[in-house]
Amino acid sequence: MFLIYCPYCKATREEEEFHNAGEAFIARPADPEAASDEEWGDYLFMRKNPKGWHWEQWQHAAGCGRVFAVKRHTLSYRIAGSWTLAAGKALFLQEGGV
Amino acid sequence: MSDALFQPYARSPLDPLDLAGQAVRPSPENGAWANEVRLLAYLTLRGDSADPAYARAVRTVCGLSLPDAGRYVSGVAGVLLWRSPNECLLLTSRRQAASLRVALVEAFAGLLAEVVDQSGGLTTVYLAGAEQVTVLRHMGGYDFGSLEPGQAIATVFGKTAAVVMRADAHGVHLIVRRSFAAYLWALLARSARPYAFTVGRLPAAGTDPVLCLQEGATVLDRQDRVAV
Ligand SMILES: [Zn+2]
Repeated sequence: MFLIYCPYCKATREEEEFHNAGEAFIARPADPEAASDEEWGDYLFMRKNPKGWHWEQWQHAAGCGRVFAVKRHTLSYRIAGSWTLAAGKALFLQEGGV
Repeated sequence: MSDALFQPYARSPLDPLDLAGQAVRPSPENGAWANEVRLLAYLTLRGDSADPAYARAVRTVCGLSLPDAGRYVSGVAGVLLWRSPNECLLLTSRRQAASLRVALVEAFAGLLAEVVDQSGGLTTVYLAGAEQVTVLRHMGGYDFGSLEPGQAIATVFGKTAAVVMRADAHGVHLIVRRSFAAYLWALLARSARPYAFTVGRLPAAGTDPVLCLQEGATVLDRQDRVAV
């Protein structure tokens, strides 16, 4: 079980209250009409699936209902922290995330 | 069909269980007792809590400031619970609900805010007794012992979710969807069976901000209510 901090409820709660909502900060092609099939396919289906630190989206489904960003290590399951999507994205870009 | 046959009446979600018929005066031997707080009114208020105009509109109509995360405030209009940064739930009496809704709609004019009457969709179960926290621990994973008067949080109970609100040292309220009310009641009654569970008669008067919203309830002392 994870204990996850919700930045909206400002409380640490059990994983049971949350839903994982996949990889965070996947950039949608700016002009979908102009995107090639490969670009669009990557956007829809291809995920990083790293062994290491991973930026994820979690929804506090049973609590406030909000989606936020969590940085989690996929091997050790350690959680570096939780942020609102805006705050998390800023940090993600700072780390050189793409 | 004759119009005389059409006599609509409000049926609370747990009415089919006839809790009123089973209710007894709880004794200290009953480690846990519960009952449904029937037919309250529930208004969902949506708006950005960071917007001062929205907060002002709510305060003007309800006389309540917006609650902080995980908390509730109460007053004459009822109990205002925090649900998310842009959503609050107002528990009030059916008597006051219609006029409050109209006043809120007027006060929200020009704002990105709305009020939705969810009275048909929710109900409240009151749980009391010396073993109430033990019973809650059987039902869900939240640290229920840490819940203090003034706090209201939503968490998972088995296959459903509910809001748990600690009114005072005497008891807690569980606010649940109508469709899951029977499930939550069954889970509660089963979890509480080892503690001499009984269906208890709700006090008709008191300082509990939710119980005093019941039909015919008399309020002993409004000053004692939790104001946060
Ligand atoms: Zn939350």
